Amino acid sequence: MRQRLLPLLFLCLPLIALASPRGDETSARAALLARFDAALRADVAALDKLLADDLEYCGVSATCSTKTQYLESVRSGTRKFRSLVPKVERVTLFADSAVLTGNVYAVSIGDGTERNVDAYFLVVLAWRDGRWQMTNQSSTLLTAKPLT
Amino acid sequence: MVSSGSFAKDDAREVLLRSAEKARFAAQVDADARTLDQLLDDGLEYVHSNGELDSKKSFIDSLTSGTRDYVSSEASIETVRIFGDVAVIRGKAKVTVADKGQSRDLHIGYTDVWLWKNGGWKMTAWRSARLPDSPVK
Repeated sequence: MRQRLLPLLFLCLPLIALASPRGDETSARAALLARFDAALRADVAALDKLLADDLEYCGVSATCSTKTQYLESVRSGTRKFRSLVPKVERVTLFADSAVLTGNVYAVSIGDGTERNVDAYFLVVLAWRDGRWQMTNQSSTLLTAKPLT
Repeated sequence: MVSSGSFAKDDAREVLLRSAEKARFAAQVDADARTLDQLLDDGLEYVHSNGELDSKKSFIDSLTSGTRDYVSSEASIETVRIFGDVAVIRGKAKVTVADKGQSRDLHIGYTDVWLWKNGGWKMTAWRSARLPDSPVK
């Protein structure tokens, strides 16, 4: 019986793999870059897919937002960027999660003024529903000064 | 589908994680290199609230040499989330540091990431930022 089942199992393996693809380093990087790009374009629909429902987004001021609060800040224009240039330095991959660190240079727009923001970021992605979703971003400011 | 066994496993690991976090804060105040060596991952990225970046070695060296001197720290964990072998802790801390003979109080928000390795938690990343009520200097 076992001899009959084994070949069948090997035949089914590709189908199993297709049914439950796993995230890899390339797709984790791509998901994070897509998140930055969507934030720059204020694309709330794209962000809704890229962010996990249990998101904790902690900005350089140490205040944290939920997914709902974050999306609302993008929708209302409270959180707005003229440019966002991320550089992913390290990706550590696990079974259902990935930890990414790096830095981002941004020009943010708020209250009619622009600010240069240079920050380290720490991001945790979770592999859910066949795609990477960001569950946490925490940042530390390197420099912040008004544009002259 | 998650089995009740997985929930029990995560509950047990969360207890260990909270204990490790508490021990790490204490070890930093005590400049306890041996404990920190056990609790910190070799790939640690420690970004201080002023933007300075330390590796595991440079962080432990700074504490044992006295370059960085934590007089006290009082942390309160706000959330703990475990994603398989990765855990994320978010919290706030009041930290007093000695700096050139004077002490400074810092109030920070922090996130740290821990990895489950060889039956124990190791902190692999720390990010913090000054809360609005923290002294600027």
